[in-house]
Amino acid sequence: MAEEKQESSQGDIEGVNCLAYDEAIIAQQDKIQQEIANTNPLVSDKQDLSVLQKEYAEDDAVYQLKLKDLYKKYAYIRKTRPDGNCFYRAFGFAHLESLLEDSKELQKFKAVAAKSKHDLVNEGFTEFTIEDFHNTFMDLIEVCEKQPSLQELLNSFNDQNMSDYVVVYLRLLTSGYLQREHGFFEHFIEGGRTIKEFCQQEVEPMSKESDHIHIIALAKALNVSILVEYMDRGEGGTVNHHVFPEGGDPRIFLLYRPGHYDILYK
Amino acid sequence: MTEQSALLLRKQLAELNKNPVEGFSAGLIDDDDIYKWEVVIIGPQDTLFEGGFFKAYLTFPYDYPLRPPKMKFITEIWHPNVAKNGDVCISILHEPGEDKFGYEKPEERWLPIHTVETIMISVISMLADPNSDSPANVDAAKEWREDPNGEFKKKVARCVRKSQEMAFD
Repeated sequence: MAEEKQESSQGDIEGVNCLAYDEAIIAQQDKIQQEIANTNPLVSDKQDLSVLQKEYAEDDAVYQLKLKDLYKKYAYIRKTRPDGNCFYRAFGFAHLESLLEDSKELQKFKAVAAKSKHDLVNEGFTEFTIEDFHNTFMDLIEVCEKQPSLQELLNSFNDQNMSDYVVVYLRLLTSGYLQREHGFFEHFIEGGRTIKEFCQQEVEPMSKESDHIHIIALAKALNVSILVEYMDRGEGGTVNHHVFPEGGDPRIFLLYRPGHYDILYK
Repeated sequence: MTEQSALLLRKQLAELNKNPVEGFSAGLIDDDDIYKWEVVIIGPQDTLFEGGFFKAYLTFPYDYPLRPPKMKFITEIWHPNVAKNGDVCISILHEPGEDKFGYEKPEERWLPIHTVETIMISVISMLADPNSDSPANVDAAKEWREDPNGEFKKKVARCVRKSQEMAFD
């Protein structure tokens, strides 16, 4: 089925000029994104970690060894859609999920989140342009206060618009923290860009992927400790992990595979 | 949640009515449709466009501000970054990732924190300072690059005059 589609779209673009060719590529990328969206919920149900087994060839020694190592520490995984926003979505869901049964931490988090808008305004963001995102974020925290079922939280995170509003706000918080602490972070920016440029290019736009620097900034901005397990093709047979910020006591566990973050559970 | 974008647009419209911003005016094409705006841009001072009144339509997607609006000039305008059919081609109206021409710097892409006001400021700055690297009107770009005070200036002056006639009709 997928093959057929590809053939016909290739037939369509034969004999057209260069610009139309670029447009065809963009159209094809859109189609790929659409297919990803149709087959991957924004945040999936909790699944047994063994689902990962099927994603790697049996004779892929590096990954099979690392999977075994991962099984020792975790039992379940919750997948997120690979759309460039996965870190923020995984973080947002995992953190609120962990707070559903910890009302004391939830209240602390609510206070930090409530204050965060003023910090952003002090950082130079226009209140008017950020308040809808902030309100949606606070609404969701208030929903969590009522101790909804996990399914309700999952539904909110699978409502594209609501979910994306939360992603936007987490991106803004990341950007705000990076700019506030620019003296520290500017040493880690590649390409001779200022922190502000970096934020406008790599943090604030939707679908831009996240790296260490984004994770540290968001973890610090919200005072939440995040552990990331790194599973890549590197030798060694074990999965390495990092805690952000260093020395924290993590409540959230994420699995990083090149280009993508999912949520892990013990 | 189409409502959220409608609310945000209503809020912006009310704000612009209360505290107008220099250089443009904004309203709805049809009072019943918050997603379709009409703006009039005043040609910026000390540019070839000075004195002109350029009407344009902004069409917002239902998932604004996650995605940018489209902008189209209704008044005829001769400019490297406006297609001959009026479509405005500036980078902040493009979503991240989509880059047909490959010339634009990524920092200028659409961000969810843009508003009608920040878009207009970009468009006004585009009028004052065309970007001939990624032209939407190749002929205008060529004329502007070769001799901004020659054929280009003449065509712009004609548009300015026409725009005044339209505005005071």
